[in-house]
Amino acid sequence: MTPALSIQNVAKTFSTAQGDVRALDHVSIDIRAGEFVSVIGPSGCGKSTLMNIVGGLVDDYEGEVHLDGALVRGCQKQIGVVFQEESTFPWRTAIDNVAFPMEAAGLPREARMARARELLELVGLNGFENRFPSELSGGMRQRIAIARTLAFQPRILLMDEPFAALDEQTRLLLGDKVLQIQQELNQTTLLITHNIAEAVQLSDRVLIMSFRPGRIKRVIDIDLPRPRSSKLMGGEKFGQYVAAIWEDLREEASKGLQDMERVRAGA
Amino acid sequence: MAAVEQIGGRAAAPRAPFWTVTRLRVAAVLVIFALWEVAGASGLFYRGVIPSSALVAKAFAGLLGSADFWFHAGVTGFEVLVAFAIGGLAGAAFGLLLGVNRYTGAVLEPFLHYLAPTPKIVFLPILLILFGVGVGSKISLGAISCFFPMALSVAAGVRQVNPVFLRVSRTFNLTRAQTVRMVYVPALVPPLASGLRIGLGVAIVGCLMSEIKLSRMGLGFSAMEYYRVFDIPSMLAVLIFIFLCAALGNMAIDRFVRLPGPQDRVRRAR
Ligand SMILES: Nc1ncnc2c1ncn2[C@@H]1O[C@H](COP(=O)(O)OP(=O)(O)OP(=O)(O)O)[C@@H](O)[C@H]1O
Ligand SMILES: [Mg+2]
Repeated sequence: MTPALSIQNVAKTFSTAQGDVRALDHVSIDIRAGEFVSVIGPSGCGKSTLMNIVGGLVDDYEGEVHLDGALVRGCQKQIGVVFQEESTFPWRTAIDNVAFPMEAAGLPREARMARARELLELVGLNGFENRFPSELSGGMRQRIAIARTLAFQPRILLMDEPFAALDEQTRLLLGDKVLQIQQELNQTTLLITHNIAEAVQLSDRVLIMSFRPGRIKRVIDIDLPRPRSSKLMGGEKFGQYVAAIWEDLREEASKGLQDMERVRAGA
Repeated sequence: MAAVEQIGGRAAAPRAPFWTVTRLRVAAVLVIFALWEVAGASGLFYRGVIPSSALVAKAFAGLLGSADFWFHAGVTGFEVLVAFAIGGLAGAAFGLLLGVNRYTGAVLEPFLHYLAPTPKIVFLPILLILFGVGVGSKISLGAISCFFPMALSVAAGVRQVNPVFLRVSRTFNLTRAQTVRMVYVPALVPPLASGLRIGLGVAIVGCLMSEIKLSRMGLGFSAMEYYRVFDIPSMLAVLIFIFLCAALGNMAIDRFVRLPGPQDRVRRAR
C-alpha cells in the first residue's frame, strides 16, 4: 500500500554568516493513512525545519515529499499545520478563528459557522464561541489553533510542539483530547515534540532524531492498546518505552547541550 | 469606554471604576475653570488677558450665531479634510510600500525619519510658489504634515505583522488578495488608527499655521484678527471651537478605526 505521506531523503542546509548549518540530513519517513507518528529530538535538531518542508513553507531543500505516491512541492490542500508559536488571530472570536480556512475556501457563512461550532465542541470549547483569544488561556488558544487546522479538513495533520508552552497537567489533558480526535476522525498525524511521555502516550510510532545533522536515529513502535488515555502513564510497559527512548535521546540531548554551551562561551 | 481603558479591555468590567474615572475628569475640568476665574480676578495679569469664563461663553455664543464665523470655519474644515485625506492616503500607501519591500524601506526610511520631526512650516515658501496664496498652499502644508506620521506608523505596522499569521495563511492556501484582506488589513488597524490620530492633529496644525502666516480666510486668520483688535474672549472662543472639533475628530477615529475585541461585549451588555 502506498503511504499517505512519504518523506524521501529530505535534507536542508542553511547558509549563515557563521557558515553552513546542516539542519537535516537525508531524513526518510513513511506514514500510513490513519497512523499517528511522533518525531522527537533535542532542541535545534531540525524538527521545525522538517515540518516546514513537509508543510510547503520551505522552497529549497533536497529530497522529495510524496502524498499518496504523488510528488508535491509547496503548500498543499491535503496538509494542515499547527504551529509551535501562538497563532490565533486576536481580532477574531474563537468561532471566527476556527471558521478562517473555510471562509478562505468560500464556504457560505451558515455552513462554516455550523462546522466551526462542531469543531469547537470537539476540542472541548463549547460555550466559548464568542470569546476573543485575549480572554482565553494559552491551552484554550492552542485548542482553537488545532480546531482551526482541522476545519481545513487536511488528510494529514502536522503539529509542531503544539503543547510546548503549556503546563504538564494541561498538556496531558490536551493529549487525551488529541487522541480522542485522532480516533474519531482517523486523522493521519505527524506530531513533533520533545516530550517523551507525550510521544509514547499518543503515537503508533516514535522516531528519534539525532542532533545536527538531524537524522532519524531510531524508530520505536509503540505497542500499547487503543483507545488510550493519559492513565496509561503509570503502566509498566509505558515506563519501559519512556526509558528506551530516553536511552537514545540522552546522548543526542547532551550533544545539543554541549553545543549550546559552546555557543554561549563564544567559541 | 472609560472603564475599558482603565482595566485593559477585560470582559468583566466592574461598574465602580467607570464612575470614579468620570467623576475625576469632571472634577479636573472644574478645577481648571476655578483656577482660570481666580487668575482672571486676581489682577496679576494684564487687564483682559484672562477674561471671565462668562465673557468667553458669551463670545462663543456670538460666534455660533455669526455667518462670518461659519464661513471661516467652513474654509478651515474643508482645508483640513482635504489635507487629511490626501496626506493620509499618500502616507498609508507610501508606508505600505516601505513596509512590504525591504529595499525601498532600507533606502527611503532614513529620510522619512529625519524629515518627520522637522517643522513642516519651513516648506511654506516653496508651497506658496507652487500653489499660490489660496487654499492650495494651506492644504498642501496640512497634507505634508499628515503624510509623515501616517507613513511611519503604517511602515512599522507592516513590518510588525506577526510572521506566523502569514505562514498560517500560506498553509491554508489563501490567495494574495485574501491574505491582504483577511490578515494584513486587520493586523494594520492599530497602527493605522494611531497614524490617523497623529496625522489629523498635525494636518490641523499645518492648515492653521499657514492661515495665520498668510491668509484672509479660515479660523487661523479669524483668531489672529480678534487678537489684533484685542477681542480676547472671541479669540479664545475660536480656539475652544478648534479644540472641540479636533477632539471630535479624534473620537470619530477611535470609534470607527479599531478592531473588534472584548470591549464590544462590555458595551453591548450595558
Ligand atoms: N532560517 C534559518 N537560518 C539559519 N539557520 C536556521 C534557520 N532555521 C533553523 N536554523 C537552524 O537549523 C537548526 C534546526 O532548527 P529547527 O528550528 O528546525 O530546530 P527544532 O528541532 O525545531 O528546535 P526546537 O525544538 O527548539 O523547536 C538549528 O540549529 C537552527 O539554528
Ligand atoms: Mg521547533
